[in-house]
Amino acid sequence: MAKSKAATIQPDWISKTLAGALLGLGLAVAISGLFAWWGPGGLDAPNKVQFNMWVIPLYWMTVWSLVYLFRTGLRAWLVLGAVTAAAHVALFVTPQILGAS
Amino acid sequence: MRADIIKTYKTLHTWTGLIAGMALFIAFFAGAMTMFKGPLDRWATPPGNDIQWVAEDQWLPLMQQTLAAHPAAAKGFTLHLQPGENVGAPLVWDANPERSRFDPQEPWGATLNERGELVTAPFETSPMANLIDMLHQTAGIPGNGHHLFGVYVMGAVSILYALAIVSGLVVLLPTLVKDFLIVRRGKNLKRFWLDAHNVVGLTSLPFHLMIALTVIVFAFHDFLYDALSVTVYKERPLFEMHEHHDRGVDTVAENLLPPEALLANLKTQAPDFVPREMMYMGPLGERAEVRIAGENLEHMVRGADRGFAAMDPYTAELEGTEYLPGQEDPWTEIVISIFALHFGSYGGDFMRWVYVFMGLAGAFIFYSGNLLWVETRRRKQRRNGGPVEQKRNTRLMASATVGVCWGSVAGIALSMSAGKWLHGTMAADSLYLWAYYLVFLASVGWAFWRGPGRGAVELIAFAGLAWLTVPMTALLAWLIPAVPAWVQTAPGPLAVDGSALLAGLLLLEMARRTAKRVFHGSTDSVWYAGAQPIVDEQAVDIREKPA
Repeated sequence: MAKSKAATIQPDWISKTLAGALLGLGLAVAISGLFAWWGPGGLDAPNKVQFNMWVIPLYWMTVWSLVYLFRTGLRAWLVLGAVTAAAHVALFVTPQILGAS
Repeated sequence: MRADIIKTYKTLHTWTGLIAGMALFIAFFAGAMTMFKGPLDRWATPPGNDIQWVAEDQWLPLMQQTLAAHPAAAKGFTLHLQPGENVGAPLVWDANPERSRFDPQEPWGATLNERGELVTAPFETSPMANLIDMLHQTAGIPGNGHHLFGVYVMGAVSILYALAIVSGLVVLLPTLVKDFLIVRRGKNLKRFWLDAHNVVGLTSLPFHLMIALTVIVFAFHDFLYDALSVTVYKERPLFEMHEHHDRGVDTVAENLLPPEALLANLKTQAPDFVPREMMYMGPLGERAEVRIAGENLEHMVRGADRGFAAMDPYTAELEGTEYLPGQEDPWTEIVISIFALHFGSYGGDFMRWVYVFMGLAGAFIFYSGNLLWVETRRRKQRRNGGPVEQKRNTRLMASATVGVCWGSVAGIALSMSAGKWLHGTMAADSLYLWAYYLVFLASVGWAFWRGPGRGAVELIAFAGLAWLTVPMTALLAWLIPAVPAWVQTAPGPLAVDGSALLAGLLLLEMARRTAKRVFHGSTDSVWYAGAQPIVDEQAVDIREKPA
């Protein structure tokens, strides 16, 4: 895909920036939430919430700074939107899987 | 690496850097100063706190007598274990406990005289060190709500800053190996500035990433916690409250344990912890707690220079060890490390100086970044063969950069000196703020009026002289005690004067070198301010005009 001739990336500043800002944040919160559940100590480990909050900007800015690598803004929204949605679905079903209330 | 990626990320780097650069310059310069907030606070405190200090066994009677005589102290007070220029008395409380944190403080101090009688008086603190810290946190952007408005702005600036860091790295990747750490000092000044910008940027990359990410958290943590609460924790509380327990004694002043007993108990549990202050919170209430702040050079600490232990002042039971250095649980340990990385509160004074250097190096990155943008614009115009007259917005950007950067540097220094010479003429808070903003805004205006070239030389020289007023003030106050200014002669405060002297001399040297470029450098630059430019479209190299 990356080798195709038409693969030159388009700037699409506004749509990509919005994808990075909004979807990036949504994805970052979901990743942090999945780590909160599945990571060491689970959801109830004392003071782990502080760590979970602190790493959100790390995930967020990683996604946001790499979003400009998408070929177009539309692709950024589609791919990142799908990943974000999937992450939130995973987060939503996690309590059932882990059998937690 | 593909050219289109480089091009995209170069644009990203240019604009994020340009927008964030000036605010970051101010925040980094003031931040470098806050590394020595303690000495700055002692430096700025007027002398006159010659108060009787008390022995350890007098701590308890002092507390009990103060609580009996001054009900406001029951809201909370601080017991200082060591004297210092900026410590008004062994026991200090706020006479206006309802005040918001934006109202002026009304600190009172209490001590015991030789006969064991209570002596209380209001005393003067200096807002200066705290205002420099505020400048660091807000870049001087005024306004406040629940948080300082400038803190939110700096959070947004830090998002741009993080994008600028990553995009800058992407742009450098293709030439990373070839050009790594090379600074080419040739005739091409732009190449030299770019190399310097890259070297400093690359070598301090982890530091800058850490600063950018922590500032985003400092600004937006409430929203991030809310997001976690809504999507993850749901009805679970995010933070456990300390369990309220029946301690079996009434919370009245007579039952307070002697502070030295609490410290002895703490010592057995945390031998390396060196206590500095004991903050009694609501000492006569059901939730009475004493927070013992102190240092531990072996461990990273949660505060800007302090770790904390919480104790019950009636039972000497350790309540929370979350922030007691070396006794945290693993998650808190990680979070504390992140705090400490931002504050540079590990490794003692050596690490503080490293952070000062990193802060100033950061300020250089932002300043040079803006200058490079200006330089790049210039070259584009030459290729097109247009007039050598520089474009208006390029000149304006150059002027703004020069005015904002050097205006803040000069403003801090002059407000420090004004705080001493004009002491007592108006409320200290207003005095410092007026002096800073007056110098800052005047400098910005000056830069626009004089143009970037002349403005840079004059403002850098002005900033140098401004910093020299600091040691000159100390010298005059020492020679002529009758002047309103004062000098604190302990090593810590004197180091402030010494550093200011060094800063002043370095800035004057910088002004001299900038002048050389501005008046004798290439004529087709926004920086050129010498005689009538020689218009020569074919020039390829930047030529030195014969002196």
